[in-house]
Amino acid sequence: MAEDTSRRDFLKSLGVTVGGAAITAAAGVVSGPAKAEAQQPKGTIPDKPFKVGHMTFFTGAAAVLGEPMYKGHILAAEEINAQGGLLGKRKIETIKADEAAGTDANVKEMRRMKLSENIELFTGVTSSGNTPALGPVAEELKLMTIFVDGCTDFLWDKAVPNPHYIFRITNMQSADGVTAAVGTAMTWPQVRKIAHIHPDYSYGRNAFDHFTVAINKLVPGTKVVSEGWPKLGTTDFTSHITKAISAKPDLLVSSVWGGDYVAMYKQALRYDLFKKMKFTSMIAFGVAPHAIGKDHPQGVIAGIHSNYYFTYPTSNRWPLNDTFVKKYYDRWKEYPNFQSEGAYVAMHMFTMAVERANKLTGGWPDDDAIISQLEGLSFSGPAGYIHIRPDNHQGYKDAVTGFSINTSDYDFQILDPKRMITIPIRNITAPPGWPKGEPTSTYTWIEKTWPKVA
Amino acid sequence: METLIIHLLNSLLYASVLFLIAGGLSLIYGVMRIVNLAHGNIYAVGAYTTAWAVGRIEGGAPTIALYAILPIGAVAAAALGAVLEPTLLRPLYKRPEEYQLLITFGLLLVLEDVMRFIWGAYPLSASALFEGMGSFSIGESIYPAYNLAVIIVGGMAAAALWAFVYRTKFGVILRATSQNMRMASALGVNVNQVYVQAFTLGCFMAGLGGAIIVPQQGAVLGMGVDALILAFVVVVIGGLGSLEGALLGALMVGVVREFGITFFPEIELAVLYLMAAIVLLIRPAGLLGRA
Repeated sequence: MAEDTSRRDFLKSLGVTVGGAAITAAAGVVSGPAKAEAQQPKGTIPDKPFKVGHMTFFTGAAAVLGEPMYKGHILAAEEINAQGGLLGKRKIETIKADEAAGTDANVKEMRRMKLSENIELFTGVTSSGNTPALGPVAEELKLMTIFVDGCTDFLWDKAVPNPHYIFRITNMQSADGVTAAVGTAMTWPQVRKIAHIHPDYSYGRNAFDHFTVAINKLVPGTKVVSEGWPKLGTTDFTSHITKAISAKPDLLVSSVWGGDYVAMYKQALRYDLFKKMKFTSMIAFGVAPHAIGKDHPQGVIAGIHSNYYFTYPTSNRWPLNDTFVKKYYDRWKEYPNFQSEGAYVAMHMFTMAVERANKLTGGWPDDDAIISQLEGLSFSGPAGYIHIRPDNHQGYKDAVTGFSINTSDYDFQILDPKRMITIPIRNITAPPGWPKGEPTSTYTWIEKTWPKVA
Repeated sequence: METLIIHLLNSLLYASVLFLIAGGLSLIYGVMRIVNLAHGNIYAVGAYTTAWAVGRIEGGAPTIALYAILPIGAVAAAALGAVLEPTLLRPLYKRPEEYQLLITFGLLLVLEDVMRFIWGAYPLSASALFEGMGSFSIGESIYPAYNLAVIIVGGMAAAALWAFVYRTKFGVILRATSQNMRMASALGVNVNQVYVQAFTLGCFMAGLGGAIIVPQQGAVLGMGVDALILAFVVVVIGGLGSLEGALLGALMVGVVREFGITFFPEIELAVLYLMAAIVLLIRPAGLLGRA
């Protein structure tokens, strides 16, 4: 592309849309996970229970993401069991494990689940620190695995470049930084001085790197005027806030999440931070929705890990989402977050692959038959269309972010369903075959192929 | 200049809460020679209890009632301490120190799960108190008034504790027991009673730390372990068992952390441990510790 591409043209070429109704179609067959196939399974199916290992955070600061993930998983398992189980015969039994035990202990637990408990499917995982350790072990154990999160690019770039048994359902981490940069460039192209506050671990570093590489292309002339790297789990941000304000930036960018973020925004309010600068976050609204109060600033870009927010796709436009939100609310008396949706979709996706494989092979399909159904699968979930890329086993769906707003419908603040920013994921991640890069393939792809807009 | 004042206030805020936690840890060690690994979660119990209590009456009660209920976290932590010492710790005093470490570590894990069981995985907040006080101006900047209140409470707690330990009869007994438990016992001091009082006081301080900071930060799972690690940094610097040391250590950690965040953001986490390492190399017992 020529150097003098305008921002408007380039954003258009990325397929970015704003509004309440945009869902871009993915290629392939589309069928809904909520609709159980009425046909009888072929062949004889054993009625042995189907054991699933589900690992997520039940303790520690990350339990705010782990708890909704587990709830999403259980909801899906209960729905499937209400139909008689997988292929109408095999009831799902969930064995849960606490991810907070630490990476080494998690690896041991995965082995134990497979070798002693004889699980046939492993799901869950929140942390990017854990998937690169668990992935190779799952391959070694020949254990069918669908990671819900743990979204680091590193998993497919380096740890398991040619996966066979493992899949992952949420969007890749690099999408967060890039989506936040695209949202910022569309909304506030005038910003120049940028302050950052990110948690000091792989996710925060990744968010900073990808935001920066993308914003340099989309809004040339910006510079980083302040950086803060609080420890993950910090709830005292007074010093970081003071530092950011004293640098007098036009924009603050942050990937602080969960309970940390709730503490951060409440403290920032008392320093008038949001009156002094624009604010863009990758994952502010990724926490359970009701944790964000109505005192949260409106009109800021409040990311959701590029994945899912329960008010979008808007009601009556996408029945799958209406049904999911209602079922989840009825079961748990709260609204789902992106982890709930991911865990829920993971189980239904697996069920769908088992049913398809059964039609081809009869009886209970072996793992390879299920894997060949999962590879390249395109279907719809509550968030929209999902496509499982056959080369890296990664689930891709439109990257989304949005703007915070108070409405009378909920007693907490929500993302404005009428102003959601949607970007087809293939336009902001490295295409299949792109050489592995540092720090990520998507980083080098953006650096080398995106034009600097005029 | 105004930025400097705000940085200074931020340091004092951090130091106040740290002193309450580390001071309690140090007091318990000074008197009883117990390293209480569960101390961080006693602090968390204080935070959760206050947040829970505020959440219960919020909306229906006048704001002043919310402030009046704030110390409930400290009371709950003290009550917990008064129960734990005679039941769990007392049977272990005659055993080697490893047993005390094991049981307090076990207690740390149990308390973490109990809190999750009672209050769930999502953060609890008591921010109405934080917001209720508003902000005041320093030049062109504003500063939350509640933070100033925390600094004042922290300072008052330090002064009260000093007066208690050095100006009351109980303080004399406490110090005597700390210096020589057998001799104090021979002179007619009821050591068991002194121990339970010291442990309760230490827990009260930690609970107070949790109770006054929860309106600003919220209560989250895992907060206790983080606080425990920082409290150890403070007592390593100041000297385990020394209240003055805990005060000095907390102030140093507060100032150095603020300085680190402002000028060396990339190594924010490392500066505190670097400082502790340097102190350990130069004065292994801590700056004000007894060797």
